[in-house]
Order: sequence, then structure tokens, then C-alpha cells
Amino acid sequence: MDFTSIFGDYTAIAPMIILLIGALVAPGVHLLGKKRTATWGFALAVVIVSMVINVLMLVDGWTGSTLGMVYYTDYSGLMMLLFQIVLFLAVVVSNASVETTRFNVGAYYALLMAASTGMMFVAGSQDLMMIFVGVELTSISSYAAVSMKRNDARAAEAAVKYVIIGGMSTALTLYGISMLYGLTGTTNIAAIAATTSITGISFVFGIALVAMIAGYGFKIAAVPFHMWAPDVYEGAATPVSLFLATGSKKMGLSVFFQIFLIMFVSGTACAKIAGPEVQYLFAIIAAVTMTVGNIVAIAQNNIKRMLAYSSIAQAGYILIVMAVMSEYALSAGLFHMFTHVFMKGGAFLVVGALICAGIGEKISDYRGLAKRAPFMAAAMMLFLFSLAGIPPLAGFTSKFFLFSSTMGVGTAAGISLESQWIWLAFVAILNSAISLYYYARVVKTMYVDTGESAERIKVPAAFTVAIAICLVAVVVLGVYPQLIFDLCETASHALLFA
Amino acid sequence: MIEYTWLIPFVPMLCFVLIGIFGQKTPEKGGYIAIAGAAISFALSGIIALEYLTGPDYPNVVVDSICWFHIGDLQLNLGYYVDGLTCMMMLFSSFISTLIFVYSVGYMGDQGGRKKRYYAEVSMFLSGMLGLIVSSNFLEMFIFWEVMGLCSYLLIGFWSFRHPEGDAASSNAASAAKKAFLVTRFGDVCLMGGLFVLLGAFGSLDFVDLFNPVNIQNVNPDTLTLGMLLCFGGVIGKSAQFPLHDWLPDAMAGPTTVSSLIHAATMVKAGVYLVARGFPLFVQNPDVMLFVGLIGGFTAFFTATMALNNMNIKRVLAYSTLSQLGYMILSLGAGGYLFALGMDSGNAALMAAGTAGFVAGCFHMMNHAFFKALLFMCSGSVIHAVGTEDMRLMGGLRKQMPITSITMLLGSLSIAGFPFFSGFWSKDLVIEAAFEAGDHNVLFMVLWVLAIVTAFMTAFYMFRMWFMTFMGEKGKNTLHAAEHGHGESPKSMTAPLCILAVFAVVSGFFIMFGLDGMLSFTELPGGFFQVGGGHSEGFEYFSELFTNPYTYLTIVLALVGIYIAYLMYAKKKINPGRFNREGESVLYKVLTKRWGFPDLYNQLSWKLGYGIARGVDYVDRQVVDGTVNGLSGAVVGGGEAVSRVQTGDVHDYSSVVLLGIAVLAVLFIVIAKIMGGI
Repeated sequence: MDFTSIFGDYTAIAPMIILLIGALVAPGVHLLGKKRTATWGFALAVVIVSMVINVLMLVDGWTGSTLGMVYYTDYSGLMMLLFQIVLFLAVVVSNASVETTRFNVGAYYALLMAASTGMMFVAGSQDLMMIFVGVELTSISSYAAVSMKRNDARAAEAAVKYVIIGGMSTALTLYGISMLYGLTGTTNIAAIAATTSITGISFVFGIALVAMIAGYGFKIAAVPFHMWAPDVYEGAATPVSLFLATGSKKMGLSVFFQIFLIMFVSGTACAKIAGPEVQYLFAIIAAVTMTVGNIVAIAQNNIKRMLAYSSIAQAGYILIVMAVMSEYALSAGLFHMFTHVFMKGGAFLVVGALICAGIGEKISDYRGLAKRAPFMAAAMMLFLFSLAGIPPLAGFTSKFFLFSSTMGVGTAAGISLESQWIWLAFVAILNSAISLYYYARVVKTMYVDTGESAERIKVPAAFTVAIAICLVAVVVLGVYPQLIFDLCETASHALLFA
Repeated sequence: MIEYTWLIPFVPMLCFVLIGIFGQKTPEKGGYIAIAGAAISFALSGIIALEYLTGPDYPNVVVDSICWFHIGDLQLNLGYYVDGLTCMMMLFSSFISTLIFVYSVGYMGDQGGRKKRYYAEVSMFLSGMLGLIVSSNFLEMFIFWEVMGLCSYLLIGFWSFRHPEGDAASSNAASAAKKAFLVTRFGDVCLMGGLFVLLGAFGSLDFVDLFNPVNIQNVNPDTLTLGMLLCFGGVIGKSAQFPLHDWLPDAMAGPTTVSSLIHAATMVKAGVYLVARGFPLFVQNPDVMLFVGLIGGFTAFFTATMALNNMNIKRVLAYSTLSQLGYMILSLGAGGYLFALGMDSGNAALMAAGTAGFVAGCFHMMNHAFFKALLFMCSGSVIHAVGTEDMRLMGGLRKQMPITSITMLLGSLSIAGFPFFSGFWSKDLVIEAAFEAGDHNVLFMVLWVLAIVTAFMTAFYMFRMWFMTFMGEKGKNTLHAAEHGHGESPKSMTAPLCILAVFAVVSGFFIMFGLDGMLSFTELPGGFFQVGGGHSEGFEYFSELFTNPYTYLTIVLALVGIYIAYLMYAKKKINPGRFNREGESVLYKVLTKRWGFPDLYNQLSWKLGYGIARGVDYVDRQVVDGTVNGLSGAVVGGGEAVSRVQTGDVHDYSSVVLLGIAVLAVLFIVIAKIMGGI
């Protein structure tokens, strides 16, 4: 299809523009229509149109840029698709969720769409400033989205925390970026890499790196910058938690890939840059993040907090990519990001659906759920087992890819145990085993314990549909991973070597 | 037909789906679908085994696979791998499962709508086992391995909803299910690690690549040793070897049919099968095989002790399973040790002796499957009638349940190693393998002694169980059952018992018809390791057995064990209390407490693990997070508090964050210094 004839110079940002227009118009639609459902329908339509355009462009293999600032490549297209899926899941259930009834829905959908637009801009950027602006657009929109649950003290506390910590991370990032600019005179990532490969690495460069790792480390909730995540996920309305846990976190990871992988792996950089040091730094962060996330999750009694810590652990797994820094690892990481959207998103959706049915967020509230809501319980069980990495669900396949990347699959040296990252694979495998403990506890509560009530519960249809979508994805991606993995391989090749 | 081998696991999986969708509407809630599925699998296994064994390919393996996915230079396949071992495994697994499903119709008859879930899950379970058996690579095997683990979790917890023995039993079932899942999972972690090591070493997980000596020689031997030890960790978990044995007795909390399935046809056999399947890799290092043998031999002895004084009929059987699994692992270990030594020195006689050990292990696995399925189903029949698992409440059931008592007697004779019953042949081969290995390593001599003592204990506790249940005075529940006219179980239960009893008696003679040739482990002239095509030496084995004086020693010990049990529990001439001071002796108590293993597990895993988690959580929430909490709580508090944001708390919080950054920076510099960068 000839996209350029339709969108002209703006083809590269067409999916974002549509969302942005939607975000600007949504409050007006709400104001004129005064109907929640109409606004919801509008928002959903906008998301779907944007998604369709993106999928068409992605399948077509269209590449290009707008104003030399935003690039549409196989990589950014795939990441945009991921963010759109997250947005779609969040929007689909928002109208049915009881947690959003008091929201000004016009503003709410506008915020979600603006936040997604920010993420998509990040995915298309090749410049530190553009990335920064995109991240800020997302962050500020999400602060507001978290705080929308106005009469809830927990939400207010979470929002305040989120803003302060977010501000902190912004400051740090900006600090790092300005130092890099001072060193190299440019904010273009490839140009920074090219300059540094000639001048070599200095202490200032190292400090800039650390500041940026810390700043964006907040976004992905890497230990020790993770403590906001459980509070925020717990305090926010569940669709928003879903959006943050699966979307916002992926944006942070994408930023890591786009900045550090391009600097240290791609063709423009060379061996003179001290790659191994950074790799070790990331390896340690990855190992600590997954371990802390999993261990603390064991002690949680609130399901949303438990899922939050499990998200932290999952981010730790994905950080293996940053330690291994190979094309194959990146493909595996992207694939895991996709499966994570469906399994973690699905788990949050179940939690949200049950809140609508009047069931609390405590794990003990789930007693006897298998009898009261068989589909919800079965879906939750599969999502949790997938998160724990039990075959043949998607979580197993993607973890297998991810962990096997530590052995140098796909590198020139070939598969071998000589790789220095094999220990990281063992830490990760051990962690998956620990994680099973707290997932199994939820399953046991749902299936084995008897609850106070045995009454059947009804959940809104929108939730059932969204959960069914996630469920199908979790099973299909587990059995037939090639479906998305080929796209991930093309994307990672595009990012690193295009 | 061989190209349709994939149908063998596929049919039960299809049944799982069918029962899930239509189960509620069909008679027996899907029971007949499950039976049909298992029977079709058995028929397919039979046809395929026949075609393979008589076909032109035999003894070469027939293997075919399709690409499941490819990533980079790595391709992972789904496929089937047929050789002698596959044939034997799939035949007895599907056959016994079919009988268990038939039996279930009677046994689970009164369970109402929940039967649908039961039949769906057992079908999936069987699918997992059959898939594992026909797998053509380790990853595929691991997937089915995990599917089985998951199904066992669901099945053991099956009665957790409503146990006939009340709430305590229900919660038992639940915690037992969790224990089974988590403990075997510990083994699975090792196995997964092992697979990664093998993948790293070979660049492939296909058996055809892994079992090729050319590839094996290119691998660093230490790497291979590490990989195989990790894989064996998976076996320890799945086949419940010391020290991860304790989940299996607890798994008795599930329905008896499930126990029967787990113990005889599936699950625990998967571990033994993994050792047998991975034999070409295991035999690369004699020390690995020595370790395997030690674990197996010790488990055989150690777990048998706990069966000596247990009062629960199913628990006794569970311990006997553990002990028999130990025999199989011991045999594979001893055989592998000899084979490894033989390969190192090029001694063909040693390799042949090693092959004999391999055959003995696999042979015992098959025989055990028959008599253990029989014994469990008999115990289920008894429990069905008397409504208790406590043997003290039974007794004198012989007249009331003639078929059950006779079939169980046959099963007990078989496991006790009574001459000419199936257990006798294979157990003696196992013991002989340990003896042969004892010539080369004195540790195997110790294991041989343990194995002999275990044979004596086995005979004793099995007949203790049989006498306590069927002979002597009528117990409380026996009388109660008699009053209510609970006699022999229905035909759907006794018919499988009779069929299995025949096999428990005669399956030992299969070795006369070339079974050992089909199971022999050989290295082809081309160098490929494979199972099958060996010279059948059934009669030589037998003549050797009867010229070996040690054979008579085990026979005498078994007879003595049976006789002591007879005196103690049937004739009541010897009071068992004399040996344990009426249950007050230290040994008796230790045995009752299972050598303290459940407590140890508890302390180690739940208490310690949860303690650590709580500790980390406390630090995370109170120390790190507390500052943040205080701050935002203050902000919510109102205007006055907002001013505090500017004065103190943000400062505190920033210092926490800055500390994190400082740690990162220091870490970076340290790493850079170590690696000589910057």
C-alpha cells in the first residue's frame, strides 16, 4: 500500500497523530455527548484505527522518517504495536470497570492516549532529546491518570509518590543527557557513539551513563529504583495499573535498548567503548532486580502488590538483554515483552474484573473463586503459570529464548558455555522457581480454600472479552512462538544494524 | 504406521479437550471418552511397536521431527524417537492407564459432576507421559515433563474440595499437592539448568545429535558431567529419590487411582526413563554413574525402613514404590558404571555387563508398573469397601473380598521377589548388577548388601500389610462393612485387577521372548548409541540366576521375611510390640516421623524461605519505603504537611535515591577497574 500518498510527510508518525487527535478531541466528545459509553466508543475506535494503520505499515515493511526526527522502522513499528495493544486492553475494559465510574472519562481517555503517544514517539526516536520529550509526555499523562481516583487516599498517596519520584528521575536523566552533550556536542545517539568510539570512555561519560541508567531505571522499576511501583500499581485504578505495568515499563526498557544497545553494539560503535563494564553493571542490576522482586513478592498479601513485585522481577529478566547485548538476546527480550503484556495484563484484568464484582484485592479474598467464577479462576491460573514459566504457555517459551541468549545463541562464536553470562541464566532459572511459590499460593487459594460465599459472580462482558484475548495469546504464543518471534528478529536487526 | 507415532500422545490430549467441552453431557462424565482415548493409544502403541520391531529399520532408531521454531542458528524440533525403550515404555504406560481408567469408572462412581474434571485431568496426564516417552529431544521432553507435574498438582489436590474423610483430609490433600508440585519443581530447576548446559555444550537438544559419539567427543567432559548431574537432579525430584523423596508419600492424599497412575504407569517412571534415555550421556563418566547408583541404592534401603511400621495401607505402598524406584536407579547406576569403565578400557565384557544392568533397570521398571498398579488398585478396592486407610481397622477381609485378596496376594508375592513371580526375575538381575559393579568399586558392594537387606524388608512389610488387611481378626471397619453388606467391589474394578494379576505373575517371562534384546543398550559400529537389537539371552540369564548362590540367599531372606510377618500378624505368635517397646522405642518414633524429613522441609523451605522474604519485605517497605511513605502521607495530610516537603522529608528521600546512584557509580568504577577499562 502506498502510505506516503495518504499521509504525505507525516507517514512515519501517522499512528501517533491519529492517537494525538483522538486525545485532543476526546474531552470535547465527552462534553458534547455527555455519555460515557459514547466517549468510550470514540476512544476505542481511535485506538483501533491507529492500530490498524500501524499493523498495515508494519506488515508492509514501510520505513521512513518525518523531519528526520521520528523514524518508522521495523523496530519502532513493533514497539508501537506493543504500546497500542496495551492501550487497547486498558481502554476496552475502562467503561465497564467500577473503578473509573467517577472519572471524567473525556480527560481519562485523553490521558491514556497521550501517554501512549509519548511511548510511541520514544520508540521512533534516535535522539536523546526526542526520547526525553516522549518519556515526559508519557510520565506527566500517567501522573494525572493515577491521581484520577480522587476520593481514595491510597491513590492520592500513590500519585504524589509517583510525581516526586518521576521528577527525580527526570532530573537525573536530564543531568546525564547534558553531560553527554557536553562531552560530544550532539544528542544524536549514533553520533554520540561515533564520537565516543574515537575519544574513548572517560569518567564523566561513566557518570553520565550512571545518571541515565538510574533515571530510566525508575521507569522500568529496576532495583534500587523500584519502590514506587507497588504503591502506584496498588493505588491506581486497575486499568491504569495495567497500562503502567505493561506499557510504561516497556517504554523504559525500549529506551535502554535504543540508547545503550545502539551505543555499544551497533555498527557505529566500536570496541574502544568500554562495553563489558556496562554489561557487567547491567548484569548485576538484572540479577538483583529479579531476585528482590521475586523474594519480596512472596510476602505480599495484596494481589496487586504481588503482581507489582512480579513485574519488577520480570523487568529483571528482560534486563538480561542489556547484559548479553546480542541481536538474539534483543529478539528474545522483545518477544518476552510481548508475552509479558498478555500474561501480566491478563492477570491485572482478572483483578480488575473481580473488583467490579465486589471482590477485594487481598489474596485471601480469592478463596473459593474457582467455584464462584470458574472462567476467571482458570484464566488467572493460566496467566500465573505462564508468568512462572510453565510449558507450554507463552511465558515458558519466551523465558527459554531469553535465558538461552546468555549462551551466545546467534552470535558469531555460536552456542557455547564459554559465555560469561551463563551464571545469569542460572540466577534467572532459580528465580523462576522461587516465583512459582507465590503464584501457586494464589492458585491454591482460588481452587482449594473454601470461601465464605459460594454465590456465582458475574463480571462485565468487556472484561471477559479482554481476558479471553489475553488467554488466547498466552496459549498461542506458547505453542507457536514463531508468529511474533519473526517480527522480533526483524525488529532487533533493524534497531542494531539498519 | 510409525509416521503416526505422534498420535499416541495426541489422542489423550484430544480426549482432554473433548471431555472439557462435552464431558458433562456424556455418561460417566467423560469416563468412557478417557477410556477410549487410552485404549486407542495402547492399540496404536501396539501396532507401532510391532511394525518397528519386525520392520527393516530395527534396531536402528526411527526418528522424525518438524521444526517447532528456529532462533538464530538454533533449531528446536517436535518429533518422535522410536527405539526398543520407547516401545516398552509406551506399551506398558498406555496399557496400565487404560485399566486404571476402567477401574476409575467403579472407584470414582459416586463422585458426581467432579468426575468430568478428574477424567479430563487424567487424560492430560497420560498425554504428558506418552508425549515424554516419544519425544525426540530434551526440550520437548521437558515440556511434557512439566505438563505432567502440573497435572499431578491438580490431581493430587483433586479431593481437596470434599474428601470423604473430612476437612482435615481435604487440607492435607491441598498441602500435599502443593508439596508435590514445589518439591518436584526443585528438581525441574536442576533439569532446566542441565538442559541449558547441554544446549550450550552441543548446540542442539535433539537426541540424534546428543547421542552421537562424534559430537560427545567434541564436548568438554567436565561440562558434560555438570550437565548430567543437573539432569539427574531433575530425576531425584521426579522419581522421588533421596533427599527429595518425601513428596511421594504425601501424594497419597489424592484418590487411589491417581496414586496408581503416578506410581505405576507415569510420573515417577519419567525420572527413571530420563536416566535410561540419557544413558549415552550418563555413561561418559563413571563417577556420575557411581553417584546415580549411590542415590538409588540408598533410597531403596532408606525408604524401605519407613514402610516397616506404617499403619496406612497406601503409605506402605508409597514407601515400597520409593524403594523399588531406588532399585531401578541403582541398577542403571551400576550398569552405567560398568559400561563407562568398559568404554574407557575398551573391555567388551564389561560393557556387556553394563548392558545387563541397563536391561535389569528397565525390566524392573516394567514389572514394577504391573505389580504396583495392581497393588494400588487392590488397596483402592479395600478402601472402597471399608472406608478407611488405617490397617488397624481392617483385618479378616479375605472372605469378604476374595478376588481382591487373591490378586493382592499375587502382587505382594511378586514385589517380595517370590520365585518365578515377575518381581523375582528383575529384582535378582538388579541385585546381580550391583554385585558385578562391586567387583570394581567397593561402594557398590555396600549397596549390594543394602539391596539384599531391602529385599528382606520388602518381603516383610508387604506381607505385614497383606496379613493385617486380609487375615487375623476382623477389625472395626471390617465388621462395619460386613453389616452394611459392603463386599467385593464391582466388576469394573475387579476385572482390571484380574488382568493385572496375570501380568504381575507372568511379565517376568517376557525376557524369554527377547525383551532383553529389545532393551539392550548398545553402541552401533557406526558409533551411535541406541537401545535395542541386542542379543537375547533370556535363558542364559535364568540359568545363571539359578547357579548363583546369592540368588538363593535372597530367596531365603524373602521367605524368612514373609514367615516373620506371618507369625507376627496372622498367627500373632510374636508380638511386634516386643521389638519396639510398644511403639516407645526411639527407632520406632523416628520411623513414624519419617526420619524427620517433613519437618526438615518445613523448616528449610517454608519457614526459612518465608522468613527471608518477610525480612527483605520489611527492609523494602519500612526502611527504604518508609521515608517515602512518611513523605507522601504528609502531603496528603494537608497544607501544613506540604511545607514539610520543602524542609525535610524530600531531603531524606533524595538521599536514599542518591545512595542508590552512588552505589551504581561505585559499582561501575569497581567493575571498570577490575576489567582494566577507562
